[in-house]
Amino acid sequence: MIAAVRQRWQRWWQARHPRSDTWTLTQRNIYIVPTGAGFVFAAVLLVMLLAAINYQLSLGYVLTFLLAGAGFVSMHLTHNTLRGLTLHLKPPQPGFAGQALPLEIVLTSPTRLQHGVGLGIEGDINAGQAPASAVFVDVPAGGQAIAHLAFLPARRGLHDVPALRAETRYPFGLFRAWTVWRPAARVLAWPTPEQPVAPLPAAPACAGEAAQRKASDSGEFEGVRAYRRGDALKQVVWKKAARTGELVSRDTSSALQQELWLDWQLTQLSGTEARLSRLTAWVLAAEAAGVSHGLRLPGVEITPGSGGAQQRRSLDALGLWS
Amino acid sequence: MTRAAARGSSSGWGWGGWPGWAHLPRDSRDVLFLLAVIGWTLAPHFAHLPIWCSPLTVLVIAWRARLAITNAALPGRWPLLGLLVLAMGLTWWSHRTLLGKDAGITMLVVLMVLKTLELRARRDALVVFFLGFFIVLTNFLYSQTLGVAAAMLVSVWGLLTALVLAHMPVGRPPLAQAGGVAARAALLGAPIMLVLFMLFPRMAPLWAVPQDTQAKTGLSGSLRMGGIAELALDESIAFRVRFDAGVRPPAAALYWRGPVLARFDGQEWTRLEPAYASAPRRGAQLRVDGAALGYAMTLEPNRLPVLPLLEATPNSEADGPRIDGPRAFLRSDLQWATERPITERLRLTARAYLDHRHGPQSDELSLRDYVDLPPGFNPRTLAWAQALRNDARYAQASHERLVEVVLEVIRRGFTYTLTPGTYGDDNENRFAIDEFWLDRKQGFCEHFSTAFVVVMRALDIPARVVTGYQGADTELQDGDHIIRNSHAHAWTEVWLAGRGWVRVDPTAAVAPERVSFSRNLRPQPGVVAGAINAVNPALMARLRSTWELVNNRWNQWVLNYSRAQQFDLLKKLGVSSPSWEDLTYLLIGLLSGASLVGAAWAWWDRHRRDPWQRLRSRLTQRLGDLGIAAAEHEAPRTLARRVRERLGERAEALALQLEALDGLRYGRAAIARPDPAWWSAFATTTAALARSR
Repeated sequence: MIAAVRQRWQRWWQARHPRSDTWTLTQRNIYIVPTGAGFVFAAVLLVMLLAAINYQLSLGYVLTFLLAGAGFVSMHLTHNTLRGLTLHLKPPQPGFAGQALPLEIVLTSPTRLQHGVGLGIEGDINAGQAPASAVFVDVPAGGQAIAHLAFLPARRGLHDVPALRAETRYPFGLFRAWTVWRPAARVLAWPTPEQPVAPLPAAPACAGEAAQRKASDSGEFEGVRAYRRGDALKQVVWKKAARTGELVSRDTSSALQQELWLDWQLTQLSGTEARLSRLTAWVLAAEAAGVSHGLRLPGVEITPGSGGAQQRRSLDALGLWS
Repeated sequence: MTRAAARGSSSGWGWGGWPGWAHLPRDSRDVLFLLAVIGWTLAPHFAHLPIWCSPLTVLVIAWRARLAITNAALPGRWPLLGLLVLAMGLTWWSHRTLLGKDAGITMLVVLMVLKTLELRARRDALVVFFLGFFIVLTNFLYSQTLGVAAAMLVSVWGLLTALVLAHMPVGRPPLAQAGGVAARAALLGAPIMLVLFMLFPRMAPLWAVPQDTQAKTGLSGSLRMGGIAELALDESIAFRVRFDAGVRPPAAALYWRGPVLARFDGQEWTRLEPAYASAPRRGAQLRVDGAALGYAMTLEPNRLPVLPLLEATPNSEADGPRIDGPRAFLRSDLQWATERPITERLRLTARAYLDHRHGPQSDELSLRDYVDLPPGFNPRTLAWAQALRNDARYAQASHERLVEVVLEVIRRGFTYTLTPGTYGDDNENRFAIDEFWLDRKQGFCEHFSTAFVVVMRALDIPARVVTGYQGADTELQDGDHIIRNSHAHAWTEVWLAGRGWVRVDPTAAVAPERVSFSRNLRPQPGVVAGAINAVNPALMARLRSTWELVNNRWNQWVLNYSRAQQFDLLKKLGVSSPSWEDLTYLLIGLLSGASLVGAAWAWWDRHRRDPWQRLRSRLTQRLGDLGIAAAEHEAPRTLARRVRERLGERAEALALQLEALDGLRYGRAAIARPDPAWWSAFATTTAALARSR
């Protein structure tokens, strides 16, 4: 019974808040309630009214009603602060699980200057509490403001961007207006790299030489070959390229021989996530060392290469593997 | 003092190093602004706070300001707690209680300034804000003049501005901007305030008895001689009286009896709670003579349980007051009282007998209360009276003769003035009457009456002070006599064997015109007013009349706005017999009407669309009728092509119209809003096409 009600509630709530990367705030999606301070204010007004009655103070009535009027108007002002704003989430960049991923939100106000708009992740902000993690921005009239939020994915994988909340108590703090926004974008979290980094596995081609070769930094020049995607820029023989119009890369012995396969089997760990963490750390280490690396996961194989694109490919595969 | 402290302890910053308003950090600036507002709000209280409280307040605010400017750390919890306990102790010492109005206000002020030392987060502004509004309200307990109202309006605006600042977390918004927002909210709320003020049903106090502490003319329950240096004449109306047809008694005979004050503690005259229980039981012992004088009285709220009826209005079925309102009763001192304070306009009819006597005929024990004087006060006056008694000329004089002699003294050597300065500033009022009776010899009715009673008692003649109103305006208003608060008066009664209590008005001895013509003597003008008067008397007169007019309006429309005025308003709106419920209905009706209008506006606002978009949806519908699907993003040009493809030659006109629309919307001669003429032509074409299908 309760489960059914909850489900219905969930369905209704999700229908009310369709996922979208752009969220325009209107009457329909802004909620407003009095804050704790608002209730205290009402109580103060009541006591002041009693004092005005008991001491028959005409000016006491004036003061009480003036404040009541201003408080009532502030409800509209608070609501107006959010109304008309447009929130837009820029496509979020992937990052490692357990690290804060930046979310960049652009706020646009077509007409008025809006003060004190707080943005936070829904759930972080407890109702009635000061939004500790909220970021406050002023949105200029007809202009844009950018708010940076951080999303902390606990696990690797593709995550929905959590529901966000835009909130304001401006101008008097007697009312709290907010909206809940579920962005459509999804954000990829790569596995957390293992710390400390386990030594890279030896390249099977010439196992004995690997460590020594690596120590000699860039390796000997052994020849050239056609440019392959993923070759580092410093490997390109620019002089030759300028002459012939064809991109060619240096074929160093280290690049040749250290075609390092980062293999699921080589991790020597049992847990899936632990293996993925170690592989992630290896990908980063291999890239830092300038070693050409490939990745072998059950069902996934990425041919060796190096450079940013190769690293991204490997990390994405690790993040998405299941 | 703060200056010395700042120089002594601060290493980096002295008063010479003021960084300038614009260079202050935002938080410091906000705190300083809030402190200024708090100081402004508290300032009117300094006049009546205990002697230690005002310096403490100023010190704490100065300290906090210095902390804000130097960006120093705030004091910890313990020093604050210590200060609070100290202040509570001092409050107890000053007021002998922590409850009640005066002690409460003292505590409120202390809490407010101590809270400023705790202003860590901007959120603390909320607490200061709420305390601040209470303090604004408490200012009205002491004075509700136009000036105080204006000053407190500034306070309210300042507090609201501080609150807005607290909710602008980003950057360094200018004060003017926050002030503008606060003013806007207050102004937009003003209609709500007006409606509530006019229609919120006024009711009697729910439990506490209001205390009127304003130093102006008018009645109060007690009298304190010498404390008022200058009497502000309050020209507002106390009550109106209409006598039965044709009768117009002389002003000198019109004594409207208020509280009778017989207990004197050296400082203050208050009502006597008789030590001898027999007196009240016997009542006022009133004996009347002559014809009854019928009158109808309309009493404005005086916030006292007192009916100032004409002397003497007996307590009989035929003569006693008929009131539509609270129950009234006659005290044994011949004064009419009500069971609760009069807080709204009251109408009554009664009959009085100008010729009357009251009180016991022969000496009795209860009269001993009326010769009681506090020991140690005014020794020179007592010695003067003793000398009079010992004077050989008056050795055998009757009490009547002694009263005459003392009145003669007053007549010869005293001056009537409304600006006598204060008496008895030092020594706790111990010699106030000495100073008046023997040294300065000038004052107004309360000086004369209290000094006269003290002298009478020193001569062993029972005497008491009677407060009330004397006389009436010389001009009638719609046939009504107008009695203003400036007609407030104090006179005396002495008890004479065989006659009972006899009225003696010593003020009449020194300023007979005050009583016989009921003329209020104008106070001497102040320095500025005097200067203006010397240069341009006409301007001065105009200024004064304008000021009086404004002040009267203020009294009439704001301060004395009560249920009677509310009912008058309802009558003007066509309610024949207004009642409490009518007011409530009207108020609820107006508020719900306003909410409906608001809701309608919100609905309209939600459905408000760009006119091009509206045209677009109508156009899509018309084309749909012709079997042509138009997607949201397609330009009229695209639709024109589709029309040609689907409908061929016969729809050429329609296609041309769509192309024209494309020009109007996006072309070189694009227009801002859709042209209605275009739509009517388009509608005609589509209708014709639809018929031909």
